[in-house]
Amino acid sequence: MSIGKRFALLVLGVAVAALVLTGAGAPEPEVVERDTLTIAIGAEPESLDPVNMTSAPAATVGEHAVERLIYMEEDGSLTPMLATSWDSNEEGTEWTFQLREGVQFHDGEPFNAEAVKANLDRFLDPDVGAVYAFLLGSVQEVEVTGEYEVRLHLEEPFAPILSHLSHSFIGMISPVQLEEYYLDDAGEPIGTGPYEVVSWDRGDRVQMRVNENYWGNIPEIPNLNFTFISEDSARVVALETGEADAIMAVPPTDAIRLDDDPNIDVTYQTSVRTIYVGFNVNHEPFDNKTVRQALNHAVDKEIIVEAIFEGNAFVADAPIVDAVFGHSSVGPYEYDPDRAREMLAEAGYPDGFDVTLYHPTGRYPQDSTVAEVVQDQLADVGVNLTLETMEWSSYLDFLYLPEDESDYRMYLLGWGTVTLDADYGLFALFHGDQGAPAGNNISYYRNSEVDDLLERARVNTNPDEREALYADAIELIWDDASWLFLYNEGQVNASRTYVEGLIHHPLENLSAWEAYFVD
Amino acid sequence: MGTVEQVETSEGIVVRSRRELWWERLRHWFRNSEWSQVARHLLRNRGALIGLVIIGTFVLAAVFAPYLATHNPLETSLTTRLMGPGSEHWLGSDELGRDLFSRMLYGGRISLNIGLISVLIGVAIGVPVGAVSGYYGGKLDIITQRFIDIMIAFPGILLAIVVVTVLGVGVQNVMIAVGIASVPIYARLVRGSVLSVKEQSYVKAARAAGISDFAIIFRHVLPNCLAPIIVQSTFQIATAILWAAGLSFLGLGAQAPMPEWGRILSQGRGYMRMAPHLTTFPGLAILLMVLGFNLLGDGLRDALDPKSRGR
Repeated sequence: MSIGKRFALLVLGVAVAALVLTGAGAPEPEVVERDTLTIAIGAEPESLDPVNMTSAPAATVGEHAVERLIYMEEDGSLTPMLATSWDSNEEGTEWTFQLREGVQFHDGEPFNAEAVKANLDRFLDPDVGAVYAFLLGSVQEVEVTGEYEVRLHLEEPFAPILSHLSHSFIGMISPVQLEEYYLDDAGEPIGTGPYEVVSWDRGDRVQMRVNENYWGNIPEIPNLNFTFISEDSARVVALETGEADAIMAVPPTDAIRLDDDPNIDVTYQTSVRTIYVGFNVNHEPFDNKTVRQALNHAVDKEIIVEAIFEGNAFVADAPIVDAVFGHSSVGPYEYDPDRAREMLAEAGYPDGFDVTLYHPTGRYPQDSTVAEVVQDQLADVGVNLTLETMEWSSYLDFLYLPEDESDYRMYLLGWGTVTLDADYGLFALFHGDQGAPAGNNISYYRNSEVDDLLERARVNTNPDEREALYADAIELIWDDASWLFLYNEGQVNASRTYVEGLIHHPLENLSAWEAYFVD
Repeated sequence: MGTVEQVETSEGIVVRSRRELWWERLRHWFRNSEWSQVARHLLRNRGALIGLVIIGTFVLAAVFAPYLATHNPLETSLTTRLMGPGSEHWLGSDELGRDLFSRMLYGGRISLNIGLISVLIGVAIGVPVGAVSGYYGGKLDIITQRFIDIMIAFPGILLAIVVVTVLGVGVQNVMIAVGIASVPIYARLVRGSVLSVKEQSYVKAARAAGISDFAIIFRHVLPNCLAPIIVQSTFQIATAILWAAGLSFLGLGAQAPMPEWGRILSQGRGYMRMAPHLTTFPGLAILLMVLGFNLLGDGLRDALDPKSRGR
């Protein structure tokens, strides 16, 4: 055989093999037995121990395994979870909860009043230092009044107590685990949820399997994985290749493209997060209200929403989003650079000034791009910003400093009012006594009238009166402009079309316990 | 006599204009001097020539950026963001609607500046340290070299990240950081050369003649170590540009709205599927510029080595 013939045979052989291996052009649809749902999220939980959790990603993963007494539905209504009913005395200082009977933790321990007390006591223990202990702020004592009944004794009436108890971080974990890991990072939490954590490979994924003893509807999908892909575009690719079945936080530009993909469903949902640029109100030039208002007039929020977010965000009309109880619309500040220049001149800065804007990158969708837009637009009125990016955790350390040590004038940040109650969004950020580092008032804003209104609103149990108080407070807060109010985020999630029943929650959670596969 | 001179040649005394004379001297120098040989050798090396052309193009583009740019590199236009390459925006527009072509031109300035200045910093510190360490030897040498060992133990980019973390982010600090990170390379290189040069008889003669150490190092030793320093610097410019782009990519270098290539690349990677031009062009530019300096460095190394010159 000549070399030429041999070569021809070889080519033929390879071609035949290729045809056989690829199914010769008539591919049969691959039948896959799906038993695992993989959800890719942008950030890894900092912890799954309720007392150490601080972020939305932690809440999303955690709530599949660990449940709280009360659940907040997508519409903001409160429904029973581990508590079946609740009641308070007339003054609102004693709350009694009937607990669900026959519930077991993943380790077989029974769920009862003692377990609730152990968890809440731990949350309140100053030695534990739970980041979100303020959620239970005025709770003084947790009393076991029956095997399935607990009573919370409050120092003073606390109107938002129920929505605070629905917060994902007030989770119930097995009392046995509490003893073992007390004060330690619990790692894989043992809760009562529809899924139990099998393993947590740091930096990669949390693996869960269905809890066969679950008290409610047992989920259809046996295995659930949360993988962490921080790079936006990589997360989108993971969905397109099928490596992930659902992803959270789709970048706006990719959302348009995915919308055209017949194998992918894009879900748009509102969020409870407001993004803003805070001013340090005790330092020049931001100690001048006119300057702060001028800057609010100098930024075109509309174009940020339309261009950067492709319309899937909302110009902020108050310091909290409209789904929150107590919201009232007072804004937005009209975009008017001429007026901004006039106001700056009036305040004694006819030529503007230079200032540094600190901002995170990758924490909120498009955050650094938004910072650049703000820089560009403020330059138009003579305010020259130097942008400084900081890594998220060091950024928070940098911002949460006592007032006399703080070194910043402007910072970009967001706040999600996840209890859907104005107290959480206003008291923590605008009450004069909530200054950093203990509180979240990083602008060190103080207005005694606002303080008074917020204090009265949180102890008042009459919803109508509360709403009126918050309306007054919001008006003052808006006028004082300790923030440059920007926009309310929207959420964009996406999933393969064979996944149904996912809950895209406005609280930035993606829940899978009702999910199922279709062909 | 004015512009003419009488010159004695083999053909007798002729009168030549001063201009002619200059040309002749220049020709003579070009044919016979050490540097002219290097230059000629370099131009015969195809790789080096390509490198020179690439670098020349980038330098010209950087120098004339204000004239070549079609737009203000900082001017945003949110309504025309993420446009592909076309007649309005030659290389497309970025996520804020800024013109990529104009940004790339100005970005070239930044990259070249970083490359040159950081190398100068590295040379300015590394060469004297290496020279002194090699010339004096002894305990000073041992201590210096152990310190250099520690620095070399860190990968250069890591060292640069550490320095930037200490100094704070920004282009100036990146130059300093990359400069400092290249100090050990020069110190080690120069020390080696000095060790071999200082044994030469002309150095011994200079010492015997009572010339000061300082003068010996700078007038007699270092000029003879120049070749490896030049070659290393060419490579080091490429490395510096790459490190600086890396630091900016990580958010430690150039800050918004500076059109640094690494930063453009980093910002663009979020739009890789929708607007691939935002990552392709700056990536190519970094690649080409680094390639150019590496090709030139290769050529210089051959040209400056008398042993390889004949081949």
